[in-house]
Amino acid sequence: MSEIYDIGYRHYDGPRLGRGHSTRALAVHSLRGVFGLGRPARSKIVPFALVGIMFIPSIVSIAIMALAQQRGIPYSGFAVVMQAVVAIFLAAQAPAVVAPDLRYRVLPLYLSRPVSIAEYVGAKVTAMTVAVFALIAGPLTLAYVGELVVDMPGPPATGEYLGAMLMALVLSLLLSAFGLALASFTPRRGLGVASVITVYLLSSASVPVIYATFAETGNVETAKWAWLANPFWLVDSVQHWLFGTPPHSIEGDYPSGPVSALLLVVLLAVAMLALALRYRKAAAR
Amino acid sequence: MNTVVAGITYRALLGRRRIILLLLLPLALIGLAVLLRLFSADDQSTTVLLMKNFAIGTMLPLLGLIAGTGVIAPEIDDGTIIHLMSKPISRPVIAQTKFLVAASLLAVFAAVPTYVAAWILVGNEDGIAPGFALGSLVAGIAYAAVFLLLGVVTRHAVTIGIIYALVWESLVGNLLAGARTWSIQHWGQAIAAQISDSPFFQADVSLSFAIPALIIVTVGAVLWAGQRLRAFSLTGDE
Repeated sequence: MSEIYDIGYRHYDGPRLGRGHSTRALAVHSLRGVFGLGRPARSKIVPFALVGIMFIPSIVSIAIMALAQQRGIPYSGFAVVMQAVVAIFLAAQAPAVVAPDLRYRVLPLYLSRPVSIAEYVGAKVTAMTVAVFALIAGPLTLAYVGELVVDMPGPPATGEYLGAMLMALVLSLLLSAFGLALASFTPRRGLGVASVITVYLLSSASVPVIYATFAETGNVETAKWAWLANPFWLVDSVQHWLFGTPPHSIEGDYPSGPVSALLLVVLLAVAMLALALRYRKAAAR
Repeated sequence: MNTVVAGITYRALLGRRRIILLLLLPLALIGLAVLLRLFSADDQSTTVLLMKNFAIGTMLPLLGLIAGTGVIAPEIDDGTIIHLMSKPISRPVIAQTKFLVAASLLAVFAAVPTYVAAWILVGNEDGIAPGFALGSLVAGIAYAAVFLLLGVVTRHAVTIGIIYALVWESLVGNLLAGARTWSIQHWGQAIAAQISDSPFFQADVSLSFAIPALIIVTVGAVLWAGQRLRAFSLTGDE
């Protein structure tokens, strides 16, 4: 327990809970902040409205299963179909996790306690990952429970559901790492929101155009690679490779093989590295 | 119009890394146009699709959001707006100046790249390039006004703006035809369709509705933003 200040006041001699506890406390505090818990009602509107929108397809899906005995959106394609909402959630809430500490320059205060940069960044990424995962996994689980209750003909799609949950976790980690890395480059919340959504729209709006261009001129093999430029389709391609689920791209197939999984790992490493470098610099100020 | 306020606002928006945000999407648009040209997919229908979906559908609202809220929201967030408001400059003039700055940025970063991208693809055929350039200029001015007002009214301006542009204009607008009547980008498309006579491009909103709507929304938003600034109270962040 090394602490840099001791100005002669009476010492604390209660139990010391240690670094793990403080990291966990920071993660929980950040997670509450993502959903606006412990903040005024105005901060709760946006996250909970987006959570509500995410649940609509599941409820419709259950209704279709109950009334028409047909499946709605497949579990494996849920994140891809709802990608705009997930991206808005990420863009709107990622700056709320990182921006205030940077703007009010309280980072040195955190780091003067036994919390290292790695633990600080880890806590923030964990909080955002859990939040995005809850956003995707909640509706998925509701739809699955609905499927069990409705008792569809044939066995329940348990394998597809579990695969989708695993991929939702991977997707959340990728999105959170990238979202926080982008958002942490500015201490202003508005600019952080704008930069995250700009990068997302860049990938989502240009990828179909690039695919169509290459596909029209007969380069279908090259065109497939375009899908990997968008995080949602990238994770879907990994799911396609791992679990053999049908591809949920707008049209066409994904490039086969473990290359997309490799790309995913590389991108995760890049985002983590960017975060580490950014916070090494921010902590020095 | 106050030149000092305008100068400060330009510096705040274009300084340091922030200009990258404004350049990213226009460069991507021109890059896509060059790519389509290289692979000789440069027919009119592709051009109209790229213009409708990427230039006016994605790039314009986002740039409008960045420029429109960017001219005033960071100052309100920081609290430095108090220095500006305590000067003997009328508050509506501050709002109008900031609106003009945002509108001029949109002309440079949205309308010009739109023209260049369309020109790369089809030249000046059937007035597609000038049509979309004018459409995105007029819609960009309206976006600047609306998002400036949003920046004055709420601290969550960027988030609400994104939800309007992505959920209402894109998602709902694609599903329900009625929602397109209340969408700034479709008003811009109505003007683009008036100038261009390409057979591949039809607007969903009539010109007789789009022009009054654009004028009312732009003027109304700027005036209202000025009024809001007149009785502005600085409240603490959450």
